[in-house]
Amino acid sequence: MNMILRSLIITLLLSWFTLPAMAQIMPSGGGEETVVVPDPSPNDVKEFLRLLGDPSVQEWIKDSVTEDGEIDTAPVLTLREQIDQRLAQIAERAQSLAVAWNVLPRMPMVMSDVWDSELSHPQKVRSLTYLITFLLIGLGLEWLYRQFMQYPLLRVEQSPKDAPMEKLTGAVMRAAIIFAGLGIFAVGSIGAFKSFTWHPLVEALVMDFLVMVLLFRIIMTVSLFFQAPHAPELRLVPYGSPVARHLHWIVRVLAFAVVLGLSLSFILNRIAFMREMEMGGSLTAVALAQTVGLALMVVVVAWGCIWMAFRRVPQLCEDDTELRDLRFWRNYLMILVGVVFATWLVGLFGIMWAILVIGLIVPSLKLMAAWIDHFFDQSTSALHDAHQVEAQAVLDEFVAAEAEGEVLEGEPQPVTPEFADPYATTRPIVQRAARFVLLMSAVFALAMAWGINIFDLSSDRSVVGRVLEVLVDSIVALLLADLVWTWAKTVIDKRVADYEPPVDGQAPGPEARMFTLLPLLRTILMVSLLIMVSLSVLSAAGVNIAPILAGAGIMGIAIGFGTQSLVRDIVAGIFFLIDDAFRLGEYIEVGDLMGTVESISVRSMRIRHHRGKVHTVPYGELKSLTNHSRDWVIMKLEFRVPFDTDLQLVKKLIKKVGAELKANEHYGPSILSTLKSQGVRRMEEFNMVVGVKFMTKPGEQWLVRRDAYQKVRDIFDANGIRMAERNVKVAIEGGGADLTEEQRQAVAGAAQEASQGPEGPPKAIPDEP
Amino acid sequence: MSDTVIDTHWGAKLRLQAMIITGMVLFAFITMHLLNLSLGLHSVQLMEDWRFALSGIWSSFFPLKVLLQASLVVHFIIALYSLYRRNTLRVPAYDMAQMIAGVLIIPLMGIHVFGVMAVKELGLEPTYFLVLSQFWIVSPVNGLQQVALLVVAWIHGAIGVYSWLRARDGSARVMKFFYPFVVMLPILAMLGFVEGGRQIISVDEGGLGMVMENDPNVDGPTVDPEMIPVILAKAKNRPKLATRVSLGLVMMVLLARFIRLKLRERSHVRVSYGGRRPMTFESETGLTLLEMAHENSIPHANVCRGRGRCGTCRVRVLKGGEKLAPPSELEAKVLARWNAEPNERLACQLMPQEGVLDVERVVKADYSNLDYAQANKSTKSPVGAS
Repeated sequence: MNMILRSLIITLLLSWFTLPAMAQIMPSGGGEETVVVPDPSPNDVKEFLRLLGDPSVQEWIKDSVTEDGEIDTAPVLTLREQIDQRLAQIAERAQSLAVAWNVLPRMPMVMSDVWDSELSHPQKVRSLTYLITFLLIGLGLEWLYRQFMQYPLLRVEQSPKDAPMEKLTGAVMRAAIIFAGLGIFAVGSIGAFKSFTWHPLVEALVMDFLVMVLLFRIIMTVSLFFQAPHAPELRLVPYGSPVARHLHWIVRVLAFAVVLGLSLSFILNRIAFMREMEMGGSLTAVALAQTVGLALMVVVVAWGCIWMAFRRVPQLCEDDTELRDLRFWRNYLMILVGVVFATWLVGLFGIMWAILVIGLIVPSLKLMAAWIDHFFDQSTSALHDAHQVEAQAVLDEFVAAEAEGEVLEGEPQPVTPEFADPYATTRPIVQRAARFVLLMSAVFALAMAWGINIFDLSSDRSVVGRVLEVLVDSIVALLLADLVWTWAKTVIDKRVADYEPPVDGQAPGPEARMFTLLPLLRTILMVSLLIMVSLSVLSAAGVNIAPILAGAGIMGIAIGFGTQSLVRDIVAGIFFLIDDAFRLGEYIEVGDLMGTVESISVRSMRIRHHRGKVHTVPYGELKSLTNHSRDWVIMKLEFRVPFDTDLQLVKKLIKKVGAELKANEHYGPSILSTLKSQGVRRMEEFNMVVGVKFMTKPGEQWLVRRDAYQKVRDIFDANGIRMAERNVKVAIEGGGADLTEEQRQAVAGAAQEASQGPEGPPKAIPDEP
Repeated sequence: MSDTVIDTHWGAKLRLQAMIITGMVLFAFITMHLLNLSLGLHSVQLMEDWRFALSGIWSSFFPLKVLLQASLVVHFIIALYSLYRRNTLRVPAYDMAQMIAGVLIIPLMGIHVFGVMAVKELGLEPTYFLVLSQFWIVSPVNGLQQVALLVVAWIHGAIGVYSWLRARDGSARVMKFFYPFVVMLPILAMLGFVEGGRQIISVDEGGLGMVMENDPNVDGPTVDPEMIPVILAKAKNRPKLATRVSLGLVMMVLLARFIRLKLRERSHVRVSYGGRRPMTFESETGLTLLEMAHENSIPHANVCRGRGRCGTCRVRVLKGGEKLAPPSELEAKVLARWNAEPNERLACQLMPQEGVLDVERVVKADYSNLDYAQANKSTKSPVGAS
């Protein structure tokens, strides 16, 4: 919380500070301003033509051209020369500052002098009238728009919002509505003003102010979007209304100071510039002096705001941040502001930007992380609450049912599923992505400040260009790899952490195979990412990586040939695992080998035969694989009964046995479809074959079969159904009643011999494991 | 307490009627005047051609002249009395804007009104060429003042008409036309004023430098030359006097109101608002419930802004209703129109008495009938809210 707050303050303040810095550069950069570029009026054009005809101006243009040409064709300077040049620049700047300092006391007089001679008194007042009139026109149109948007806006602001996404949508909608209003304001004020032709200076003055008013309002709307000081339902930042109001107020003060500084410096410089053109005198010192004065004003206001924010905010939210931390960040910010101002004063604009951007990066990163965390925390807790409510509802239902006696004795309380955070994997990815974007924009800002085209670095042969190119390439590679790695790591780690090893005696679930595979994948990914990143960094730094690649390629081929079968085993294994062909603990049949899968390794698996033999099978050897442990098993049994058996009775008895089996407390639940008669399967010479079958879960069939045989035999016995036995009737011609015992035995023996056909008894069904 | 309510009821009704009628007269005058001004967008000549029909008629046609001046005086006096009766100055933004605008009108108006009168006294015709050159060339500060006057007067009038319209049936349809009218007319008038000024400003200063064809004032003032300085001095002094008198009256009324409130008996009431975001606050009695809600930043629907006309501020009194005064005739009529239950009251008319009062808003603060019951029930405050 305190971290969030601190970083928020920092970023808010500093981001406002960037504006004046930009503004301060612009006028001294010589007409770089992009904010207001009015079309030239006829008067302007006339003036321009007159100036072109002026010999002194022509001379000046010639001079500047040769100067530029020299700089372009100058050879690359040595470091020493560069430093000398820089020092000379600083000295020059210091000199002009000294002149400006001397001018400073006389400045109000000079300015009012210039001001009076450029604009008549009525013109000045009229400028004010125009400004107010057109502001009012813009405001009036915006008000009209607001009247029509009033109810949607009110609904967005006041309807309660709990989930952060709702909040974000609401805030975006509100910002869109307000921004559309600002657009109408801009059209109504600036657009209406531009549709008339004015005195050029009056026009420039009024336009400057109108644009600044618009800028101020845009800044305030952005602050409103995040802080929503009066609509807590829409607030995107994690603090209460008093803090939001305070910070909003501080933003307002800062924005006002900045906008005022900007517009005054524009206008004063514009007037000074015009005056200079006309008089031929030098007013640069005056312009510089007033710019410095305004910049100083902005810096003082920024210091005051930082001071105020750090004083009030901890009080307002009863924060328990350590005083030392607060002091550190406050001083850090104030010193940063001071240093930026000092570098600007000395004229080292490149260094000023570098200090500013780098100084901002750390707090912004902290702020961003804390802000994203806050967002996810809110989402998670909203979901958590919803989950709690649901779970409570289930429990309440159960309690109510229990009270009414509808619940069976001993039925356990319903187990509510544990709350799982759906954002656990997204959070780090979003964090990294945001960091990526922030860092990249910092690099872009830096490049822009240094006047380097970041998309055209390869053609830039200067040292800075080279360094920046290497930096950009490496950072992009690193951050992208980091992004991918974070994503993969969180996903894999989460799945591994979620894996629950199977309880003894139960078949393992489908997660078991991923458990084997995931750590392997993670390692492979890490190694390949590392290699890729280091290669791309090396290549960006100018190291020729072609030999490395070639070497790696040759090595790869050699190793590949040497370990062909090993690679085949590993790859085949991965595909078997992906196919889910077998899992730990399953009974499988591979070629002539059978057994339970005992362990799965990268290259091979180990299966144990039910009689204890252990087979190790490399995956590469597997052609096809039979799994006996999937879903269900059907077992068919046969009984031989004499021809005179009552088949209806048999059916009834078997049904009874089936019911008994199903009711068994040990294996009953494993029976999917209990024992049932299939009627007579075929007729044989001496008996009928009655078929029965049942279906169980894999591995349970043997036990059920054992019991089924036993019970069927017992029940047949009890009901007088005999199992058919081989018997041979020997008919002896002439009665044969007078055979002796010996003769009888001989006859029986002969008959038995005759009845045994050439084929042996039927082959046994494979034994149980 | 209830006696005084009944006593003042007739007075209040009359006051309201008078306020509306005089306000309407003044609004009609301003509308016509602004229409005239907006013609400047075409040319000053067109403005001048329509001057008599749109503006001059109010000063040269006697009944209208009397009506306008009487309306102004009556409107001002009743406004002062209403200010005296106000219990709190923490009023909605619109009311505040109307009040401030009302106070500002007379000081801003003086220069224009007395200036035109002085022109007439000088025997000149107050043509638009004359008046505009006065405001844009001779004394641009006064021109700036005119822009302020235009805006202030229009805001004051528009808010008044708006409040009157809002409380009437079928207002939604009227509003569709009223809003664009209320914005476009002053914008066109301002543009007309600016463009008219631009046309008569000399070319040197960036204008077009037009002059009037057959100007009636070519010959200069027809009055005795000795009188000219006297008239001019009068034109300067009279606005100052008017400003002082009007502001002095307002100050006196504010002082009287302050004394009235000081002398009032003080006691406290504890009010609880039910609903999705329940709130409890303590307040001094003597205010209406709506005023208390505003003072404590509780969102409360009130379309007519506390004038007891619309019925959107209805509350259901859950506890502490015994001590309350029965509804006045006005309130009872509105409640009957809404088929209100017996325990429903208008927050803008309800004066909570000492003790405890539990209420619940009948109409949602955002006027919409969103089904909040479907939204999640959990209410969380943002982290760190203290």
